[in-house]
Amino acid sequence: MIVRRTVALLGLPAVLVAAWWVASAGSTDFYRPPLARILAAFRDTWFGRRLLDDVAPSLARLAVGYTVALCAGIAIGVAIGASPRLRALTEPVLEFLRAIPPPVLVPVVILVAGIGDLMKVLVIVSGCLWPVLLNTVEGVRAIDPTLADTARVYHIGGTLRLRRLVLRAASPQIVTGARQALSIGIILMVISEMFAASSGLGFTVVQFQRSFAIPEMWSGVLLLGLLGVLLSLGFRAVEARVLGWYHGLRAVARGSR
Amino acid sequence: MLDVAGLRKVYEGQGHRVEAIADLTFRVGTGEFACLVGPSGCGKTTLLRCLAGLLAPTAGMVRVDGVPVAGPPPELAVVFQEYGRSLFPWLRVRENVELPLRAKGLPKARRQSIVDDALAAVGLADAGRAYPWQLSGGMQQRVAIARAVGYHPRVLLMDEPFAAVDAQTRADLEDLIRDVWRRLSVTLLFVTHDIDEAVYLGQRVIVLSAAPSTVDADLAVDLPDERDQLSTRADPRFTDLRTQVWSRIKRTTALEASP
Ligand SMILES: Nc1ncnc2c1ncn2[C@@H]1O[C@H](COP(=O)(O)OP(=O)(O)OP(=O)(O)O)[C@@H](O)[C@H]1O
Ligand SMILES: [Mg+2]
Repeated sequence: MIVRRTVALLGLPAVLVAAWWVASAGSTDFYRPPLARILAAFRDTWFGRRLLDDVAPSLARLAVGYTVALCAGIAIGVAIGASPRLRALTEPVLEFLRAIPPPVLVPVVILVAGIGDLMKVLVIVSGCLWPVLLNTVEGVRAIDPTLADTARVYHIGGTLRLRRLVLRAASPQIVTGARQALSIGIILMVISEMFAASSGLGFTVVQFQRSFAIPEMWSGVLLLGLLGVLLSLGFRAVEARVLGWYHGLRAVARGSR
Repeated sequence: MLDVAGLRKVYEGQGHRVEAIADLTFRVGTGEFACLVGPSGCGKTTLLRCLAGLLAPTAGMVRVDGVPVAGPPPELAVVFQEYGRSLFPWLRVRENVELPLRAKGLPKARRQSIVDDALAAVGLADAGRAYPWQLSGGMQQRVAIARAVGYHPRVLLMDEPFAAVDAQTRADLEDLIRDVWRRLSVTLLFVTHDIDEAVYLGQRVIVLSAAPSTVDADLAVDLPDERDQLSTRADPRFTDLRTQVWSRIKRTTALEASP
């Protein structure tokens, strides 16, 4: 069972890597070096000082920006979702802000926040906020009225209501928003570092490209891909914990149909 | 304890309006066990929601314990008709029963012992760690009953609580409810479709007319307090009472049918 799942999970990637390895083995093309060289560059480039100097700051900015967006998005989303009047008032504005492609915010944010860490974190926040916020609004709005009545009758209010009813009922949508936000966050982490930076993954990849360190550049792309996979695996582990009840409920509902 | 005076409820929607309750007046005394029967759609759930402070009446007044109802009154519990949807699917059975007790601010040890007792009383002592959606409809209904009973309310409103359970469980639950009623000396308003059940359980049966509803009959059930599924249901007085309720309902529906 476990063997079969491992094969299913890693089978295609293994085949693709092997194909890349074979196809590029004898390559003398300057821009498409053999995979063997890229992997060597990967080892030499990323397992040294760069891990601390470039990878860590990037991930730290992503972590801070993503966390801020998550907290703010959920907090504002709960407030808006719980109040029909606030919802009617803010809906058009939110839809407009959500429609702006986040990368165009980079120049704008540079104007107000300069080119330091603050700018990069703000760019990530400004892109990650909307999916979390809008999905939270939807989730809170759609709380089952029978559950809401139950909470009222039993005088379940305040933080108990927030923690045991509102946030849990909205959690499937919140998780959906958080997943979208994570992939937007990774993109913005890289883009914000391409504009004006002296460290970070995006900065380093651009730097390698400009100095014609092609295997190193490819190794940076590889690293970003791997980070994306790791983050999404981590996300799935958290989701399985938070939404275990939801997946169970859905499976039962499907089974009885 | 429950005082319904001139209650009227009209639902106003976009373009249509439903007059659910025309004019209801009745009282249920403290510690009384009253059953409410009436045809489907006659406004039984609407009445319960007004009593529970979840719905504002169009006209008239509802009082619980002498206090006009503006929001959910304290120490009142409801077992909803949509029992499945009234359980929190992300909480285990125990946590569902425990949640109102947390809201009451009871200490943990006290909560645990109440939850144990309530689940044992409905025959679900072993299901505490399951999620509600892992249980059958009848078991979910019993969890909702355990939650209401564990709350130790002074007023208990139940909306067709036994609709989804099999005959055997139903008989057990009927006896459980009578037992709970006597032990906790709670005021109970019990909605049901089943006339036999109403007569077997209650001290009183209130019959509603079809919507827009009024009180059509209000019969005292003068059966002995000690009831038993076999002997009570075979009691000539029991048969007599259910025939009375039946004929009241027949008459209203006959009146409805004639133009
Ligand atoms: N929220 C609502 N909006 C509009 N009409 C409603 C609403 N709730 C109930 N009604 C209508 O009011 C009438 C009474 O409904 P109610 O649910 O109180 O009946 P009931 O006696 O509980 O029926 P049942 O025995 O089938 O549960 C029905 O005609 C129903 O369609
Ligand atoms: Mg009903």
